[in-house]
Amino acid sequence: MNTEKKDAVIRVENLEKHFGDNKVLRGITTEIDRGEVVVIIGASGSGKSTFLRCLNCLEDPTGGSIYFDGVDIADVSVDINIHRQKMGMVFQQFNLFPHKTVLENMTLAPTKLKGMSKEEADALAMKLLDRVGLADRADSYPSQLSGGQQQRVAIVRALAMEPDVMLFDEPTSALDPEMVGEVLDVMKSLADEGMTMVIVTHEMGFAREVADRVLFVADGIIEEEAAPAILFDSPKSEKLQNFLSKVL
Amino acid sequence: MNFVSFSNWITTAPAWIVSLPEGLQNFMYQLFQTFVFADRWKLLVSGLKITFIVTLGALAIGIVIGLIIAITRTLYSNYVVTKPPFILKILNAIANVYLTVIRGTPMMVQLLIMGFVIFVPKTDTGTIVCGIVTLGINSGAYVAEIVRSGLMSIPKGQTEAGRSLGFNYIQTMWYIVIPQAIKNILPALGNEMITLLKDTSLVSVIALRDVTKQAQNIQSLTYNALVPYLSLAVIYLVIVIILTRLLALLEKRLRRSEH
Repeated sequence: MNTEKKDAVIRVENLEKHFGDNKVLRGITTEIDRGEVVVIIGASGSGKSTFLRCLNCLEDPTGGSIYFDGVDIADVSVDINIHRQKMGMVFQQFNLFPHKTVLENMTLAPTKLKGMSKEEADALAMKLLDRVGLADRADSYPSQLSGGQQQRVAIVRALAMEPDVMLFDEPTSALDPEMVGEVLDVMKSLADEGMTMVIVTHEMGFAREVADRVLFVADGIIEEEAAPAILFDSPKSEKLQNFLSKVL
Repeated sequence: MNFVSFSNWITTAPAWIVSLPEGLQNFMYQLFQTFVFADRWKLLVSGLKITFIVTLGALAIGIVIGLIIAITRTLYSNYVVTKPPFILKILNAIANVYLTVIRGTPMMVQLLIMGFVIFVPKTDTGTIVCGIVTLGINSGAYVAEIVRSGLMSIPKGQTEAGRSLGFNYIQTMWYIVIPQAIKNILPALGNEMITLLKDTSLVSVIALRDVTKQAQNIQSLTYNALVPYLSLAVIYLVIVIILTRLLALLEKRLRRSEH
């Protein structure tokens, strides 16, 4: 491991992902430090979601390395399930378990995977639900909640595993506009508490406000990266200028 | 003595039967021969017992085999771009051969092969086990497809959410996918049970004394086919109607628990 950068939670080296002949990721190298909030932006089809999904091997990388806790999790001989317990993930479509209540959604993994007792897991879940203002919905089923509420539950479900890093795959893209704010607020408070976060989003205002660093992905590589103020206000590459002119 | 002649029977028959027209008298005589004489209804009851045992036993085996095959094939189909592990390739190949052979040959032929070539059971229990195993193996092929389509009806995001929390594939299936898929699988599985119940009538070819075999026995004792076989049809029909009703109730309840 690189000893100079002890604080890197995730170190990605020359990450590649091919779907047959389609080269979606063509060599991505970056580091994500502890407590850092990294926002990934880019046009659709640029590979930004694939990059995020490679970080916890939901997509198996076809080349390169991803060091997490000093272990190359891109190596297929590594037990990825252990490492995924420490990487929370939030999806565009929430993906709550519809046959379980909010509380059961949150306690399933901690009790089955970390050997937490039901009481402990319930207490932790209630504490997290309280934090996102949904303690009174603990016994509801996901279908009884609004999209924004579902996504907040999805976030605290991931947090219930007490992860070292949180991955967000376009968490607000499937939401009605009036519900985007409540989800972003939760993410913002999470960032303020020092959670390490990697976020794929189209919310440029949010990126500018919360991100420590913004990665602009285009054609499967990191085309440009910088602090948000620099990246948004003085984009260097033509692709980024082009992209920003369309979304801002 | 396994036979009483009409003329003997009519002398002991109650007066209301004697007063019937001749054709009906004869029908009553045949009913008597089929069910009452020498307690033959007991043959049918013991046959029904075998029918139920074979149906439930075969269904149990079918579900186990079907689940394994379905999970193997679902798992294999997840590897679209990357190469599946060697062991999975082997398992999937076995599953494909199994499905092709079982669905491509008649159940009757499978029973003949199992009963007279592979198992060759010598005892009653052995014959029952042979029947259960054969029908179970047969049913597994159909259950596999039922389970597979049930599993595939659950959105991929559910699996991804489970895996992202750190569950392995089997745990994700067990805690997340299968409980949801059951709502789609149970009604179809009920239909498979009904099919299986009717298919058990074939086990008479390996001399298993199910209800069909017993009806055949009664026919050969009474030299009369009409009443035993029509009764047999009614027995199957009544059971199937009851099962169908129960299934409809179950389906209704499953739908009500949908959130």
